[in-house]
Order: sequence, then C-alpha cells, then structure tokens
Amino acid sequence: MPILKEVSGYIYPNEIELHWGILIVVYPYLTGLVAGAFILASLVKIFNVREVQATYRMALLTALAFLIVSPLPLLTHLGHPEKSFEIFLTPNTKSAMAMFGFVYAWYLMAVLLLEIWFDYRRDIILWEKKESGIKKWFHKLITLFSSDASEQSLTFDRKAIKLITIIGIPSAFLLHGYVGFIFGSIKANPWWSSVLMPIVFLFSAIVSGIALVLLIYMVVTPMRGKEIDMACLNKLASYLFYVMIIDFSLEALDFIHRIYESEESIHILSELVMGKLFVSLIVIQLLIGMIVPLLAIAGVKLFKAPDELRKQVYFLSALLVQVGIFSTRWNVVIGGQLFSKSFSGLTAYKMTFLGLEGLLMSLFLLLLPFIILYVLFRVLPPWEEMREAQ
Amino acid sequence: MKWKRIPQQLQRLIILAAIFAVLFLIVRSFLIPVDFGKYGHYRASAVEEIIAQGMHYAGQEACYDCHEDVFETKRGGFHQNVSCEVCHGPAFTHAETTDTAELEAPTGRGYCPVCHEYLPSRPTGFPQIVSASHNPMKPCITCHEPHDPEPPQAPAECTACHAEIARTKSLSHHVYVPCMRCHETPEEHKINPRKVLPGKPKTREFCGGCHAQDAPADKGIPRIDMASHNVRYVCWQCHYPHLPEAR
Repeated sequence: MPILKEVSGYIYPNEIELHWGILIVVYPYLTGLVAGAFILASLVKIFNVREVQATYRMALLTALAFLIVSPLPLLTHLGHPEKSFEIFLTPNTKSAMAMFGFVYAWYLMAVLLLEIWFDYRRDIILWEKKESGIKKWFHKLITLFSSDASEQSLTFDRKAIKLITIIGIPSAFLLHGYVGFIFGSIKANPWWSSVLMPIVFLFSAIVSGIALVLLIYMVVTPMRGKEIDMACLNKLASYLFYVMIIDFSLEALDFIHRIYESEESIHILSELVMGKLFVSLIVIQLLIGMIVPLLAIAGVKLFKAPDELRKQVYFLSALLVQVGIFSTRWNVVIGGQLFSKSFSGLTAYKMTFLGLEGLLMSLFLLLLPFIILYVLFRVLPPWEEMREAQ
Repeated sequence: MKWKRIPQQLQRLIILAAIFAVLFLIVRSFLIPVDFGKYGHYRASAVEEIIAQGMHYAGQEACYDCHEDVFETKRGGFHQNVSCEVCHGPAFTHAETTDTAELEAPTGRGYCPVCHEYLPSRPTGFPQIVSASHNPMKPCITCHEPHDPEPPQAPAECTACHAEIARTKSLSHHVYVPCMRCHETPEEHKINPRKVLPGKPKTREFCGGCHAQDAPADKGIPRIDMASHNVRYVCWQCHYPHLPEAR
C-alpha cells in the first residue's frame, strides 16, 4: 500500500484510510453558507437595516440554492442513497443524523420556502396580471392561485415574514449547529470532542454566508449594468468584520482552552497542527482566511479609503474568507481523522480525482448551487426595480 | 375561527399543507412494512427471512463426530481455538452429506499470512513472518502441521514471534543489547510460550549495571546518579527499554 509510506509513527490498521473524504468537507461548508446567508437576511428584516435592503432577497435565494445542494454530498457519500427517504417514514429519535433530516425538512419547508413565498407573493400576483400563456400559469401556480394583493393581506404577509424570521434564526442555528454537534459529540476524538464545536461552526457559517452574499452582490450588480451601492457594501463589510472578530475570538478561545487543558492528546494534536495541517490551518485558515481580511477591512475603514479601493479590498477579503472557511471545514473533518487513536502516529489523506467521492464530484457540487441560483434569479428576480410599485 | 376569516394566502397554504400531510400518510402506509417496529427499529419479518436463509457453517463439534484424530491433534495445540471451518471453509453441506461436498484445505502460501504476516498491530508473542523472505516458494505445510503448528525447530531468534519489539529495538540505542541480557528465557518458553514466560528486570539496579556512574561499561553510554535520579520509580516507568530515547 503506497499510503503506508505517508504514515508516521504508530497507527492502527483500520485508521490508515480515511472514511470521510472531501465530500464530507463540502457538506458543512455548504450548510454553513445556507445558515450564514439566511441569518444575514434575517438581520436585514429584524433590525430593518435600510442600507442592505438590496441584498435581502438575494440572500434568501442564495440560502435556498445552497440548501437544495447541501444534502447531495451526503447522499453521494452514502451507500444506498435511494433508501434515504426512509428516515422520514420511520423517524428514529435516537439517531442525531436521522433527526437532522427533519431539521433540514423543517428549515426548507417551514422557514425558507415560506419566507420567500410570502415576500414574493404580491410581486408575482402583479407580474402575472401583465403576462399570458405558460408564464402566467406558472406564476399562478407559484402563488398557489392566491390573488389577494389588498393592503390588508399584504399586512398579513409582512407579519408572517416577521414571525418566520423569528422562528428562522433559531432554526438556522439548529441547522448548522447540528453539523458542529455531530462532530462535537464524538467523544473518542479529541480534535472534535468539544462543546464549543457547534458554536464555532455557527459563527464561521455566518462569516462565510455574509461573505458569499457580498461576493454575489458585487459580481451580479455590474453584470446587470447597475451601480454598486457603496452604503450597502460598507454595511455588509462591517457585518462581516464584526462577525469575523467574534468567530476569531471563539476559535482562539477553543485553541487556548485545549492548550490549557492539555489532555494526553495534546502532543499528537500539536504535531498534527505543526505538521500535516500547518499549511491548511495556520497559513490558509488563520493567516490568509482570517487575519489578512480582518486587517484589510480594518485598514480601509480606518484610513477612509476611496470607494474603488474599498470595492477591491472587500471583494478580495470576501474571497479569502471563503477559502479560509473551506479550509476550516477541511481541518475539522480531515484533520480529525489524520491522527491515530493511540496518539502516537499520523496518516495522510489521499484524495481521488474521479469517482463519486473524488475532487471532480466535489467541484461539481460546489458549482451546482450557483447554477440553481442563476435559475432562481431568472424565475424570481430579486432586484429592487422588479418590485412592483405600490 | 371561521374559514372565511382566514386570509386567502393562509387558506392556500393550509390546503397545500393538508395535501402534503395526506399524501405523506398515504405514501407512508404503502411503504412502511406492516410489521415494522414490532421488536425494534426494523422489520420483524426480516428476522424470519434471515432464519430461512440456508445454513453454511456446521460448527466444529460436527466435524469431530467423524474426524476424531484431528480433534486429538488439535487439542492442546496453538490452533485449538481456531475453528475447522476457518481454514476448510463452510462445511454444513459436507457434514450433512459427508461424501458429496468435499472440502478443501489451503495448501499454498496465500492463506496462512492472513493471520501470520507481519503487522505492527498484532499482539507481541504472536508468530509473525515476512512471507517474502520466509522460505520463499515453499508451501507452509511442508514445515508446519496446521492442526498443531509447532515450529519445526525452536526459533533461534526471538523475532519470530516478537517482530514488533524487534523492529522497534532495531531503531534504538539498545539495538546491540541481546534480548537475553534483560530477559531470562527458559528453553521451554519457545515450545510453550504462554505457559513458561521469560523474566523481566524488576529493579533499578539492573539498568544501573550499565547506566550507573560507576558501571563497568562503554564510555558512550548515558550515565545517571542512581542515588538522586528519580529514586521512587523503576526505570521502565519513564523509559521504554526497547526504545529508551522515545519521549
């Protein structure tokens, strides 16, 4: 076995090959983007922040596109994915993974789709009044043939959105907190077994979600021949900056706590961090994905940089944040499987390119949400000028 | 609350949710087996289906009814706990009909290494070989009787069974210290390894024989002051003798 050449120290034979590969890295990355984008939309709604109103619908549709794709890496990884629907038919309350199916369904049906539906309902009714043929019927179907766009019914819509948002934030926390919960509750693995895991996952999710919406806003707006609204961009960057500080503090707290606690696993974990994970954790996750964007955003804010420079800095920072959060997921999922339970050896992860669990499949799954998002943008344009005047 | 007073869009949603719920219940009633959950979170009839599957293994008691000579050979040997069917394959049909389904025994070099090829995680004392260099081309059964696999001659080297320790020691400063210098080993241990065990050094003074300040040993050997160096501990509580420089 060539992989044996990569093994250092002592390792049990069943630990040489990793069971959770790149697909299981992609999965928490995608769900994180969902939760993050939704929480951004909720902030807009709850605190009624005028500047970022333009990104509200965009964030909702982004969350939906990524939510549709987020279970696919899991299904691709599973043997017999065709049996996955059975967890809904016969719920197993003792299995966290089975229960997550319900969290996912709840979040998709009762939160995201409902909020989008209530928000778009009035506009679609007004659109279909001007249309004919298939498009008209399609829009009628989307509104479930409801035609009431009176002030009274719109007030109800607004109330409903408010209520769903209030229910939605804990639901989003649950959605991504679960992913951290799954890792955090694995007692036998000192790299994962931490109470902070769900919280760290959640805040890194919010960071990645806000950065993604910022990126999409910055790419899509010029493509539509529109001007980027600087007030909106500044506000988004501020949100990103503050959440990153919280995320950074939590990760630092987790790190310091581990070092202070110094359980018997500390030697192998420090060997892991300074060796096989050095590039992906210290260089990419911490330096390139966290410290550089933080300093860059702080710099343009502090020195009151001109708008053009700000745009470039925000864009690059958000890109680096994406790379950083992806490597965060990588370091948790892959890192936790690289060391032996004997605490005296390390193995390596050999990624395949082709095949169901390979890099190509993962790249496809990372691209797929953007294709779905493009379709959603065509079907439900989130642009402000598409909102029908009262 | 009257239906009419519910906002129109909510009416639509309620209808949709009701359709979903009814569809879900209908699908559920069709897809869930009737006997699901009778014993636990699975289909009760699955147990019957598993019971109805054909038998493959007879169990070694069935073999001894006819092969008493093998039973006698195996009894007390190293393979006494290895069931017949581990090497000879499933024998249910053979036990039922005796002459129709003849069993085979592995006669090449491919099968025994499944257990006896060197692997660092095998327990120490378990006979391990590197098949590439262990009498290549010879089938195992030319030297070993599988029903009572004593080595044809007592192993000259401890490495035959203690491969992992030998490999560890080969990397350490103790590489040239022969096993017997620390482990007093009766010849009988090679024949009955579990019954007659080798000895182990039990005192600090034993290691002091080389590592004390005044020990008559090579200059390059690390020395300690026996009177002050962690007096309350035996050496091997901190130093692994087969790799003493390990942390």
